[in-house]
Amino acid sequence: MATVAPGVTTGPYHAVLDHIHPEPTSFIRKYIFSIDAKVIGIQYMITGAIFFAISGFMAELIRTQLLSPNGLIVSSATYNSIYSMHGSSMVWFVVIPLLTGAFGNFVMPMQIGARDVAFPWLNLVAFWIFPVAGVILFSSFLVGAPDAGWTEYPPISLLGPPGTNLWCIAVFLIGISSTMTGINFLVTIFKMRAPGMTFTRMPLFVWAQFATAPLSFIATTALGAALAALFIERVFGVPFYDPKRGGSPVLWQHMFWFYSHPAVYIMIIPGFGIISEVLPTFARKPIFGYKMIAFSSVAIALLSFSVWAHHMFTSGMAPWLQLPFMIVTMVIAIPTGVKIFSWMATLWGGAINWKTPALYATGFLITFTYGGLTGFFLAAIPADYHEHGTYFVVAHFHYVLYGGSIMSLFAGLYYWWPKMTGRMYNEKLGQLQFWLTFIGFNATFTPMHWLGLMGMPRRVATYDPQFTFWNQFASISSYVMAAGALLFIYILIDSLRNGKKAGPNPWGARTLEWMVSSPAPYYNFKKIPAVLAAPYDFGNPLPYLGLEAAPGATEATPTHSSHPVPTHL
Amino acid sequence: MAQRVVKPKTNLGPGFWPVTAFIVLLSAVMVYFVYTSPMPIGLVQAGDPAPTVDELFRFLGAVAACIFNLVTIYTIYFGIVFARPKNAPPNTIGVQIHDAPVLEFWWTAIPTILVVILAIYSTKIWADLQNTQGDVLTVEAIGYQFGFQFRYPKLANPVVNELHLPLNTPTTIHITSRDVIHGFWIPELRMKADMVPGLITTIRVTPTRAGEYRIVCTEFCGVAHSKMYAKAVLESQQDFSKWFAKQGGASGGGGGSAGGTPLALGAGKADAGQTLFGQKCSACHSTGPYDQKQVGPGLGKLFSDPTHPKLVNGKDVTPQNVAALIHDGYQGDMGVMPSAQVNQISNSDIANLVAYLASLSKK
Amino acid sequence: MAVSVAPAHGIGHGDDDHGHDDIIYRETRDMRLMGFVLFLGADVVLFSSYIFAYIYLRNSIPAWPPPGADGHQLPRLDTAFAAFNSIVLFGSGVTMHWALEHWKHANRSRFNVFMFLTILLGVGFLGGQAYEYAHAAIGGWSGNTFGASFFTLTGMHGLHVAVGVGFLIALWIQTTRGVYTKERFFGLTAGTLYWHFVDVIWVGLFFLFYLW
Repeated sequence: MATVAPGVTTGPYHAVLDHIHPEPTSFIRKYIFSIDAKVIGIQYMITGAIFFAISGFMAELIRTQLLSPNGLIVSSATYNSIYSMHGSSMVWFVVIPLLTGAFGNFVMPMQIGARDVAFPWLNLVAFWIFPVAGVILFSSFLVGAPDAGWTEYPPISLLGPPGTNLWCIAVFLIGISSTMTGINFLVTIFKMRAPGMTFTRMPLFVWAQFATAPLSFIATTALGAALAALFIERVFGVPFYDPKRGGSPVLWQHMFWFYSHPAVYIMIIPGFGIISEVLPTFARKPIFGYKMIAFSSVAIALLSFSVWAHHMFTSGMAPWLQLPFMIVTMVIAIPTGVKIFSWMATLWGGAINWKTPALYATGFLITFTYGGLTGFFLAAIPADYHEHGTYFVVAHFHYVLYGGSIMSLFAGLYYWWPKMTGRMYNEKLGQLQFWLTFIGFNATFTPMHWLGLMGMPRRVATYDPQFTFWNQFASISSYVMAAGALLFIYILIDSLRNGKKAGPNPWGARTLEWMVSSPAPYYNFKKIPAVLAAPYDFGNPLPYLGLEAAPGATEATPTHSSHPVPTHL
Repeated sequence: MAQRVVKPKTNLGPGFWPVTAFIVLLSAVMVYFVYTSPMPIGLVQAGDPAPTVDELFRFLGAVAACIFNLVTIYTIYFGIVFARPKNAPPNTIGVQIHDAPVLEFWWTAIPTILVVILAIYSTKIWADLQNTQGDVLTVEAIGYQFGFQFRYPKLANPVVNELHLPLNTPTTIHITSRDVIHGFWIPELRMKADMVPGLITTIRVTPTRAGEYRIVCTEFCGVAHSKMYAKAVLESQQDFSKWFAKQGGASGGGGGSAGGTPLALGAGKADAGQTLFGQKCSACHSTGPYDQKQVGPGLGKLFSDPTHPKLVNGKDVTPQNVAALIHDGYQGDMGVMPSAQVNQISNSDIANLVAYLASLSKK
Repeated sequence: MAVSVAPAHGIGHGDDDHGHDDIIYRETRDMRLMGFVLFLGADVVLFSSYIFAYIYLRNSIPAWPPPGADGHQLPRLDTAFAAFNSIVLFGSGVTMHWALEHWKHANRSRFNVFMFLTILLGVGFLGGQAYEYAHAAIGGWSGNTFGASFFTLTGMHGLHVAVGVGFLIALWIQTTRGVYTKERFFGLTAGTLYWHFVDVIWVGLFFLFYLW
């Protein structure tokens, strides 16, 4: 093995990577049944966005219903189905596919200097399960949609409408998709990094996908088992959960939450990765504490398997068993806090280019911290005895899921939009959209903390009149959020039609995906580069060898003495 | 290519210390309010363990306020102060630091210490809850779709949707469910347990503040979950004894003839029936036409709808049969309707209800 | 053979032959092996979930087996027969191992013999399970938690064995078409791993349902 430069040994990796297959020509093979991870990533994006719009619409139905203490627009039965489907769709058909399938597929292979993922055909199958499962899920509205929340606790779920069976099938199917993607990504990251890219030279978004992938295929399979058991109990009467026949409702809770707690980390760790890419790029300085951020993602992923019963403190578990779950849940706050401080330190001393991705990433720091802190309130068992099953929980998880995951998704989409489409979006509108979203979101969900503490339970179509004012306040605020969402759609369409052409690197970023044209070519890189260092040293030249000039580059051939500069300021 | 690097700062940024002072001050003020507020979570403390749990809320609130202030205010401050100047050349970069081991050590160590303190404190409060006394009075609470049934020792009949507890009496409540998982929560006492069929969960409380409070169902349990509430009446020991005696003595309060014997209806009063309907029936039945279903069908046209001549148990719709159905309750393919005994409806109550329903049908 | 970072043959296949080709095969095989092992890991989680459910349900009642429909405690399963059937399955694991060994030593005919035996024993195990299902008087799949856990877990295992038999037959057919060579036989490796996985799961199930 020859040594080309300090820290780079040539190895066999590139041999596999160096095969470029000819690009498909037919429309179907290019855009419908494509094995190109970038196309698949965009397919996930579009499908996820459609489900986001549907689930968001259901959220507005929820908030409109709750304008009145007697329930304004729908019956209790309908309302129960609406929030159950809202939750199920958001978790399994929006956040997880967007963070893993969409961004993971589009960005990660380029960031490690690969041309695709390890198993492109598996990737194709994994994607196509997604819309099929989504159709199955929503077809449940035709036969009586599931109504017992996204958690579908038996015995009530054993008695639920026929659509509950379709829910079991749909979620089981998308679990298979998630499992395939997890395996695919893990093998890709282990085996297909460019020469010289050791683990500690990987971009942090790749670290995030690396930490998330085992969760995707280990935890998801456990959910599949629980769903299959619920299904066969409902359809064939096989007793797992019905206490009248020897089963145990608490068994479902254990099996469900053993998956669903890691699932919430699947829904946030890739988001952490996005923030770790956006902040250094816009602050134009290295990410602070690279190693701690990387390792803490792995630590959080590992710890996430041991906290599931903090969802079950009131369920009748033995008290002594509750304690270790409380302790580990609290411990997870430490690696998470380290990340928040590292991100803040990344902003410190920066030359911050306040574009929309940076706004979202910074907003994330505030709202995700808020959500994390209320998580602490829930972790403390005696406090949880008061908060469980109330709007306090609803507030907490919307803060981490919207204020965390969705904000990071917005950040990522604005950030990588030029790379996906070759176009810029309207920056002024983007900033307006951020503020509508940020203000609307906080105004909607902050009141829910005290609604819960004051006595309002969750999953209710009507409520005690004493809670009217704050419910109305939240609902009106949610319309501001909705306006932000509609504006977002407009911004994207406007960009596609009128957006300025983006060069290869409008943000002056340093990870490998910005070294190629926008949109990225089919084969990603003309030649697989070698990697000399982690990407974030703005003070140093680019740490890549062997990059060929990206078509459309406005500067000289990127060589190891080049420093990318943003073209959009 | 020349670069313009932002001069490495030897200080932490313009105004860093005033901002820090502001964070400390604001946090101190918030902690002060958290600790001096009589109702830290805006809800009265009606008994043990509310004061203990509220102490935990205070501590959590204080720590959370400090951390939230730190993160939010510094982030906004950094965002403003370190924005790139408008006319800076495009190749401007920030301070090129990767880490600061001492700082990172402290910002790992201090949260770790905080977490340890919080964990120990929470465990202490948890242990206090485990050691709460509950040995003077024991009550059973049984959840069902969609109400709460309470069984007292030495009381033959269960009490429905109204829990009376004497003040200053350590009480144990054993909780279960007859059908699906429900929740049992008294917010003013800060205690909650799931009502799980096949299991018994237990809470221990000692009421100290008289009043009428709500018992809230906090686990989704079916279509009328949003209407599943009961009353918790915390009263002096004398008032409790009076109430208890009335329950134990009142034989007509729920018993009644065995099924099958036609009930003597007498002249029922429609307005009394209307009040009763609102209390006992409206969770599941509307006063609209049959198809305006909640859990059960609408009863507004019960006696005047030729398209529905039969009751759910197959009998004809007659006042006698309706009375018998209310008395016996129903359990079958169409669902569950609690019996009069469970609903604590006397025979005269049934008569009033039937009269009310008849008056509806005449409209 | 040292290969430069920016190889002369950028796009498409190079003209340096074997060394390059071998490297590509090795890397591809490594990726597929890792992917397959991770898949088996996910499968282990699937079985573990139901094993957890079984242990949980079993511990939630004072006596096991639980009572049947008539109120009397259900009988235990027939350990002797299951032990015999287990030997059949484990035997097929041994023959599969030898089949792969013979393949690696280019012993085609012996490979064929052991492959055949493996498939035969696998089918035999399935037949034994069918017999066991017909004779286990524990109230059926939906009668009680004993049947629920036993038939679900062993049924899932049986499905995996059936799929495995199909997998092995397909692999065998591939060998007749010359897809695998003495050096390149990843499919056979995967098949062997899968077959051993099915064996290991059965060890667990046999212990949990027949010995405990």
